[in-house]
Amino acid sequence: MSEPAVSIRQVVKRYDGHLAVRELSLTVPKGTVYGLLGPNGAGKTTSIRMLLNIIAPDSGEIRVLGAAHDDPRIVDRVGYLPEERGLYRKMQVRRVLRFLGELKGLSGKEADRRIDLWLERLGLKNGSEDWSHAKVDELSRGMQQKVQFIGSLLHEPELVVLDEPFSGLDPINAQALKDTVVDLRKQGRTVIFSTHIMDNAERMCDAVCIIARGEVVLDGKVSEVRDSHSARLVSISFTEAPSTAVHAVLRDPTIVTRLDDSHQVVEAELAAHASAPALLTRLISAGASIERFELVRPSLHRIFLERVGATDVEVGMTGHG
Amino acid sequence: MDKLMAVIRREYFERVRSRWFVIATLFGPILFGALMFLPSILTARDQAKGPADVARIVILDASGSALGERVAAALSGGVSASGKSAAVRPATSATLASEEEAATSLVIADSVRGYLVLDSATLAGRTARYAGSNTTAMLDMSTLERAVQRSVQLMRMEAAGLDQATSAQLTAVNVSMVTERLSERGRTDGNAFSGFLFGIGVAMLLYMTIFIYGLNVMRGVLEEKQSRVAEVVVASISPSKLLIGKVVGVGSVGLTQLTIWIGLGWVMYSLRDKVLSRFDAGGLPFAVPDIGVLGGVFILLFFVFGFLFYAGLFAAVGATVNSEQEAQQAQMPVVLLLLVSVMFLQNILMQPDGTLAVLLSILPFSAPIVMPMRLSMTDVPMTQLLGSLASVIVGAVAATWLASRIYRVGLLMYGKRPTVRELAKWVSRR
Repeated sequence: MSEPAVSIRQVVKRYDGHLAVRELSLTVPKGTVYGLLGPNGAGKTTSIRMLLNIIAPDSGEIRVLGAAHDDPRIVDRVGYLPEERGLYRKMQVRRVLRFLGELKGLSGKEADRRIDLWLERLGLKNGSEDWSHAKVDELSRGMQQKVQFIGSLLHEPELVVLDEPFSGLDPINAQALKDTVVDLRKQGRTVIFSTHIMDNAERMCDAVCIIARGEVVLDGKVSEVRDSHSARLVSISFTEAPSTAVHAVLRDPTIVTRLDDSHQVVEAELAAHASAPALLTRLISAGASIERFELVRPSLHRIFLERVGATDVEVGMTGHG
Repeated sequence: MDKLMAVIRREYFERVRSRWFVIATLFGPILFGALMFLPSILTARDQAKGPADVARIVILDASGSALGERVAAALSGGVSASGKSAAVRPATSATLASEEEAATSLVIADSVRGYLVLDSATLAGRTARYAGSNTTAMLDMSTLERAVQRSVQLMRMEAAGLDQATSAQLTAVNVSMVTERLSERGRTDGNAFSGFLFGIGVAMLLYMTIFIYGLNVMRGVLEEKQSRVAEVVVASISPSKLLIGKVVGVGSVGLTQLTIWIGLGWVMYSLRDKVLSRFDAGGLPFAVPDIGVLGGVFILLFFVFGFLFYAGLFAAVGATVNSEQEAQQAQMPVVLLLLVSVMFLQNILMQPDGTLAVLLSILPFSAPIVMPMRLSMTDVPMTQLLGSLASVIVGAVAATWLASRIYRVGLLMYGKRPTVRELAKWVSRR
């Protein structure tokens, strides 16, 4: 591959004495869907704003689409959906979108053509109704989100940056958003989105970067990240309630370091030198009747918890869906 | 450049299309028209019924002479005029008190406007006394005063042996002063008074337009902050360009409105004689002085740069606040700065070439209003004029620079309002 879509090198941003981003470095390859994960206050939005040259880093280097991030020529090749969404409330939908398109260098005519396509595609314009002449104020929240989303994609950007795109979306709109992201990737565009919903990231992203307290905790391809956290977790279902002998095996600290016992189903984390086959053999010899014995690959969620620490996540989760 | 134009277009058309703009633009000329024509029309109507009204009084003549009859005749428009005349009641110093009481009750019952007491002091040319419901009407009082004065003069002349006709002819003097303003351009239309009115008009129009559209810029900035649309916009265009586009866009709306107002005003002014003759009213009480094309250009320049100066400051205020309420407080320093020129309006009108007027017409925050006012009232030396314009331009550039520094940071700041020290930090931030 040629130069990456985004490369951030040792970027530092300080706000009135507190360090929002410390020596952040990451690389987003072209044509990938890249997840920026982390609890609130981790520095995601600050990093994104620096990437888009909305605020200036104190030090470090940021390159976007092969140029310095403050090169005026790249602005039109990047689309941005900020976390705090908003449009001119008293303006007609079409006029707002045309304005946003013109700000990205589109002619009014070309913008109009694309606006129609997008409005039809996202169900804001069809045979029976046409929301393009309504004022933004008159739209439901979900519709406003769609309009804003269209606004960030109208100029067909090579790089799309979505800050917490799923927050506040109902399941239908969330699905529409996921479909669009998949489409964008198919067209060879690069998508960066930040989220703290690990499930979405796991399903959609090619690569992720977990940041906390302004630092990269972990990054890489999703498959690699998960592989590097090799399966130490075993999920076991019993056909009948496990006997005391079976329990004794599960509580043996040389084999199992942590046990999540839900009676019929237990999840056991293997001890450092134990192996899954050894555990299985011990259980059978203890007389357990096993229905299912599965090595579970750790989810991003679990990795996230492990690396960031549960307390941070809880702080991050409050106030968010 | 295209992006800047997109911002200007949006700011301009979203405002021009609004109902508020249409109403204000149409209402302005109606107000001007009323200000222009109503005084003349109303004065004409009052004059039509004027003399009769002044004559609707009782004259208590305690002078022991025919003075009362003469005053009554003078009030009703001379001996030959057939009009209502005042009732004359002779009185002595003994009956005066009861006569006055009777006259007072007549005034209260509104059958007369008031009563005039003539006595020996009046005859001696010193005092006369009037009590009534119209004592605050200056025109009525001066008519009364003149009638009494003239009657006393007539009586003295006749006593000195002149006949009635000769005395009347001798006292029939009514000089009114016609003033003409002389300037470097020679004789100009209009007198001092009309220059005075025009000066106030220009100052108020500039003050109002700068104030209204400056606030408009502030609200626009605040709206972008509140609706959070600012972040999307500054991801596409630099904050300083956005600010410039906003100020230029809003300023163009102001200029459009001013142009329409002045245009319609000019049409009304040039049709003034036709309109007024329909109402049988005389000429306008004022005339627009000829300030020359250069004067007009200067006034326009002062508006443009004055607006830039204040719009920048108002935009900076908008960027530091989070709500309308906060904006109300934060805008005070800027509003006060703008108010200075209006607060000293009277002093400047009295002495358009005085030290205060000259000083205020050179300071950048008051010059945009005071200099055009002086320009339309007196002859301002070219050095002062150019110095003032330079000062306003420098002020506008400085204000725009300062505003763009504050705007850049403030646009994405929410929460607590910054202190002055924090603002200074914003300005110096890289």
